[in-house]
Amino acid sequence: MLDEAAPRQSFTDKHRKVLLGLLAVAIFLAAWQAVFLVVPFNKLFVSKPDLIWDALVKLIASGDLIRDLAISAVPFVYGFGAAVVVGVALGIVMGWRERVSYALDPIMTIFYASPLVALAPLVIVFFGVGVSGKAIIIFVLSVFPFIFNAQAGVRAVDRLLINVVRSMGGTERDLYLKVIVPSVLPYIVAGARIAVGRGLIGILVGEFFAASEGIGYAIARFGDLFALDRMFACIFAIMVIAVVLTEGIRWAERAAFPWRAGQ
Amino acid sequence: MPAYISGRNVNLTFRPPNRGPVRALQNFDIDIGEGEFLSIVGPSGCGKSTFLNVLLGLIKPDSGDIRMDGKPLAGPGTDRAMVFQEFGLLPWRTVQANVELGLELKGMGGDARRKLSQPLIEMIGLSGFEGHFPHELSGGMKQRVGLARALATDPNVLLMDEPFAALDAQTRDLMQVELLRIWQTAKKTVLFVTHQIEEAIYLSDRVMVMTKRPGRAKKIFKIDLPRPRDYEMRVTPEFNKLKLQIWNELKDEITV
Repeated sequence: MLDEAAPRQSFTDKHRKVLLGLLAVAIFLAAWQAVFLVVPFNKLFVSKPDLIWDALVKLIASGDLIRDLAISAVPFVYGFGAAVVVGVALGIVMGWRERVSYALDPIMTIFYASPLVALAPLVIVFFGVGVSGKAIIIFVLSVFPFIFNAQAGVRAVDRLLINVVRSMGGTERDLYLKVIVPSVLPYIVAGARIAVGRGLIGILVGEFFAASEGIGYAIARFGDLFALDRMFACIFAIMVIAVVLTEGIRWAERAAFPWRAGQ
Repeated sequence: MPAYISGRNVNLTFRPPNRGPVRALQNFDIDIGEGEFLSIVGPSGCGKSTFLNVLLGLIKPDSGDIRMDGKPLAGPGTDRAMVFQEFGLLPWRTVQANVELGLELKGMGGDARRKLSQPLIEMIGLSGFEGHFPHELSGGMKQRVGLARALATDPNVLLMDEPFAALDAQTRDLMQVELLRIWQTAKKTVLFVTHQIEEAIYLSDRVMVMTKRPGRAKKIFKIDLPRPRDYEMRVTPEFNKLKLQIWNELKDEITV
């Protein structure tokens, strides 16, 4: 192979992908900062990276940011946890039973495609501004990727592999443990990656509409107070969490399902 | 020689939903001797693969009498094992775990499994690849794993459903040599389904030609070529004469 004879790559060659990505981020931040050398700066209406950074450091030091995040994490765990259980169960049934999927596919598609956040005020009216209201909004937004992916996973189970295990005397239980679960699992994890993003939207929306604490409430309140540096600091924190969660799942996916690399 | 596997008057009709019924096998008769290598050639869709699945115990025929070692066939069992055209390896299992699948399903413990799988992996020439996943293997290597998996439970009968059809021509030739070597040491009864007449002659003691659907046995050819066979045998006049005879029998059944 020619590749093996290729000369040693330099540091920049080897990490070109990461370096170029970071460079774009750096240029974006620098441009944001630099624009106010020309444009007059009014901190009531805009903010810039150095002020946001200061605000972020202060919010972390005071413990406010961590407290708000911890408060928002509770409904997220409940809502997302329920979405995993309900979504996977429903998806597997829909994948396995044709009639159930015929019945439920249209309504699920309608819900999945609609901007369900529009229902958030209604949910708050029914369930209040506490944990349950937020958890339900998060659940409603994040359940659909689990349903659709689990369904697709079951449908994608290779009939040949079922026959292989059956022909070797495998029981119904063996079929589940040795074929169906390993086939479906990667689909569910891929669904989780999409669901995390939607769940985070759920937290923010729930807390924007009505809440007295939490990260979404903090963002809304800092906005109302024209404290834009702190508002952006909170948004930045959410962005970091979103990236860590989705990339973390992607990493776990590769570690847990090495065979997927070939598909 | 008393037949080790015998099928009498086997009939099978598929009734797929929303479509008309398909007669796959009609009054199908077959006799296979113990330790014999029998190949079936026939046009596409003639029911030859279906019959393998019947023998494997995955499909129940509508009627007919199928016996193995004198006993009526009842469902899948570890006395038979199939090598599939598309390999059928579990993609989330390593080479070793794939080879050990049948042993695991029998409830055998890890150490005992390893003792059986190691020599098999060695025999198929995949030592050092135990921890590889199927997607990291070539087609030929995958089918070696498929073969080792089938042999792991030490079945009396190997059912092979166009096992080399997905491989390139050269790999296929090498796998045939390998299969003969393994068959001669392991002494299994082999039922081999293929589209390739040459492959069938080269490997088999007898070659059965099947009619088009619904499939029946049309004619059986005894292959009296000496063993062990080598590649050069394929260019001998005897070999080519058989090839022509079988082709003449087969070509009337094929519709393009």
